[in-house]
Amino acid sequence: MALGLLGRETAARIAVGVAGLGLPVALFGAWQWVHASQPVTLHARMSEVGGWAPEVLRVEAGRPLELRLISDDVVHGFAIGQSQVSPIDLLPGQVVTTTLTFDAPGSYSYYCTRWCGPNHWRMRGVIEVTGPEVNTAAPSPPLYEVLGIDLDAPHPAAVVPQTRPSAARGAQLGLILPEDLTSRDAYASRSPAETWRALRAMPVTETLTDDQVWDLVAWIWRTQASEAALQQGAELFAQNCAACHGEGGSGDGVMASSVVAGTMGPVEATGPADFTDASRALGASPALLHGKISRGGMGTGMPYWGPILTEEEIWILTDYLWTFQFEE
Amino acid sequence: MTRYELTRSPGVRRLLQSRWPQLTVQAVALAGLALVIASALLGTPVGNRNFAIVMVWIAWWAALMLVAVPLLGRTWCSICPLPLPGEWLQRGAVLGPRGRGFGLGLRWPKRLRNLWLQNGAFVLVALFSLPVLTQPRLTGLLLAGLVLLAIALSLVFERRAFCRYVCPVGGFIGLYAQAAPIEVRVRDATLCAAHATKTCYTGSEKGYGCPWQVYPGALNANTYCGVCMECLRTCPYDNVAVNLRPFGADLSEVKGRGLDETFKAVLLLGSGLAYSGVLLGAWSTARLAAANIGSIDWLVYAAGFLAFVLVLVPAFLLLALRAGLWLSGSRLDILRAVRAFSPALIPLGLSLWIAFSLSFLFPNISYIFPVMSDPLNLGWNLLGTAGLGWTPYGPALVPLLTVGVVLVGLAWTSRRISATAESLGGRAGLALPLLTAAFVMAAGALWLLVF
Amino acid sequence: MSRASLQSLARGKLLPAVLGLAGLVVVFSPSSAAPASPVDRTLRLEARSFEYSPSVLTVNRGDRVTLEVVALDVVHGVHIDGLGVEVTADPGQTARLSFVADRAGAFTIRCNVTCGPLHPFMLGRLSVAPSDTPWRVVLLAGLAVLFGARLPPPRSPVRGASAGHLAP
Repeated sequence: MALGLLGRETAARIAVGVAGLGLPVALFGAWQWVHASQPVTLHARMSEVGGWAPEVLRVEAGRPLELRLISDDVVHGFAIGQSQVSPIDLLPGQVVTTTLTFDAPGSYSYYCTRWCGPNHWRMRGVIEVTGPEVNTAAPSPPLYEVLGIDLDAPHPAAVVPQTRPSAARGAQLGLILPEDLTSRDAYASRSPAETWRALRAMPVTETLTDDQVWDLVAWIWRTQASEAALQQGAELFAQNCAACHGEGGSGDGVMASSVVAGTMGPVEATGPADFTDASRALGASPALLHGKISRGGMGTGMPYWGPILTEEEIWILTDYLWTFQFEE
Repeated sequence: MTRYELTRSPGVRRLLQSRWPQLTVQAVALAGLALVIASALLGTPVGNRNFAIVMVWIAWWAALMLVAVPLLGRTWCSICPLPLPGEWLQRGAVLGPRGRGFGLGLRWPKRLRNLWLQNGAFVLVALFSLPVLTQPRLTGLLLAGLVLLAIALSLVFERRAFCRYVCPVGGFIGLYAQAAPIEVRVRDATLCAAHATKTCYTGSEKGYGCPWQVYPGALNANTYCGVCMECLRTCPYDNVAVNLRPFGADLSEVKGRGLDETFKAVLLLGSGLAYSGVLLGAWSTARLAAANIGSIDWLVYAAGFLAFVLVLVPAFLLLALRAGLWLSGSRLDILRAVRAFSPALIPLGLSLWIAFSLSFLFPNISYIFPVMSDPLNLGWNLLGTAGLGWTPYGPALVPLLTVGVVLVGLAWTSRRISATAESLGGRAGLALPLLTAAFVMAAGALWLLVF
Repeated sequence: MSRASLQSLARGKLLPAVLGLAGLVVVFSPSSAAPASPVDRTLRLEARSFEYSPSVLTVNRGDRVTLEVVALDVVHGVHIDGLGVEVTADPGQTARLSFVADRAGAFTIRCNVTCGPLHPFMLGRLSVAPSDTPWRVVLLAGLAVLFGARLPPPRSPVRGASAGHLAP
């Protein structure tokens, strides 16, 4: 009788022991085991609380890197810089798995693609891909360096148009303009104000008003990019730039005040650039804009997009920025 | 009032007396708690994707508020996993009894043998609730903390001291259990009077003395009975029965109601209103302040909340009662009137909490499915539902149910107020101001919840 | 009519029936308020963790409403209960949500994109006028009080002295 009782009590103790102690230990063990093995768990967090964790991932060239991605707070996105692989949206708390393979060794930046606070652009990490060195040509210096442009020096335009320049009006003027003003290189290395001065000095524009010469400038600028490229530029701007620079380019984006508040170092806290401000915008050459976008603002809060956007994408963005000044 | 005795059938009586069915459900609940704490501490910090937050504050809370308490009284307490480890250590057995267990077995201090500690615990939890409800780590720490506290109390004091005097939910459940249609009562009180050893309270080799420190022979309200069935096991005459009864049969009981119980009823009514306004109202200022613990905003919110539930609402009701006494020319002592009328507030309070829970449950119930497929957020898909997104359920239904529930609660409370006034002498005007007060509070709650 | 017979009337089946009828009238009687003529309305709705600004939007029934949802810090969403429309807004990209407010009443605006711990409590209200539902509900509450107060109390032996005692 007593033994029977003891047997029942023991069975009961085992049952509740399993439920109350065995289960949590097993769960903890499972959790540990999962985290110690592949796939690597990559946590996405707002920059203010640490950003990506772990920040540095390592893999060998040619070997697949399995990732388990999970956001710990708000909507993030995962993408590899300068890569054509589609970004992966990370909804908070939902696990997404992906596999990446890198053919060539090097350091690859990965970054967040959905705005997650004022420091969204700082949310970046690195994937170190190891392997036998591949001989690649050294990258050519950026155009602003070649031209010797000081990215941080102010660039006011001496003359600004009275009305908004229109590329269509410029085209209608029916002038044939020389190659050394309309070529891609010429466009890139001169600011609109410089091009205007050059055009103003030409005899063929003597009869035109100042504003009509601006229309010619607009026409030159407009012909540099196709409709499709401008559309892509608009998308890139909306996704990456509008939060600070504003959807209308006036520097009044939703993050603008945070940029001002977060400006570091000796630079003046002026906030995001206003692309609708003619005296500033028209004094900047495409090369300068390209450089600013690639290199960033050195403490002003302007991100450096060099590792993230391809050269082509940065030029497309630059070509789009003029639509805040010039009409079609 | 008619009652139907469920334990009339020998099969039912044996089922309830046997420890195995109860233990099975308790083990499942314990496993659930283990999974909840594990997921709270190890899983994602995102509340609506964390098993603990969703299963405790949405699923369990809804089941408690909408089914367990209104229909089954304190039955949740009989399977609640929080006190179990402590109780088993205290008893030295899981089934039992088997001689002495561990612990000092001290008697609970006389001064604390009331609801005041629980009232305080409830107010504290209410003040800190928003971060706990939304952050998994905090929920995990709270639950683990309660388990440890229950163990500690079980090893120092006798019986279920945690459940009876400390558990913040316990006061809530106990109060509203009085409205439920189920009860544990003795069949024949004269039999109890003749029984010298009163094994239902002292225990026998068949079972433990009432862990809830209730003498079953005198049980006349559900407030403190945890439906644990020990008295069914220990009574040598099978004199304890589980009955089905009309809703709210306890509400006309006045004997034994202390000021602590009275205050609890008022406290829960007031906090139901406050919760509805702060958590589900359209204005976010109070809500954001409530979440920002430690800030000046939160201090202002806390002061406002405390003033509302501890001062304004009680004063409002007291005023209505005084007005009623004056109108009817009654010479009734105010304290006695307060004690008599406070049970009448229970249906309205319960209906407010049900309405609040409905307003929160329906929009968020869809979170339950993904969370059950991936409880530790490791990428599992146990039930195939891990990828399901959020979708609100029955959005058009919620306002209808909310209004309906509050109206039912208001009608029932009005009935209780009127009946209490009758039983106190029935002079005209006694009930009128209190009826108006109930009307105002119900209208206020509806406005906060639906408009 | 004597007081006694009035009282018995009140306690009989007649009063509850009358109250029930009154309740039906309150619920189903058509609205008398003349609605304003519908217009096109564009409203700016700012979404910030964890509130909407403004938190209450008021439009008229029939209005063709376009909400310009501006997310100020992280990705938010707008979902309107009862109308079943929703949109997601990223910071820097104003999202537009267009719908016709074809039903009067109050509708809860919720965030449908997890945006932090307090996300389930990120709520606002869309108020479509004219709605006399609040008044109807208040009237129903009054009827509920009358109904409850005038019902005969449950027949019970006087309680309070003895322990719980069962009827056989």
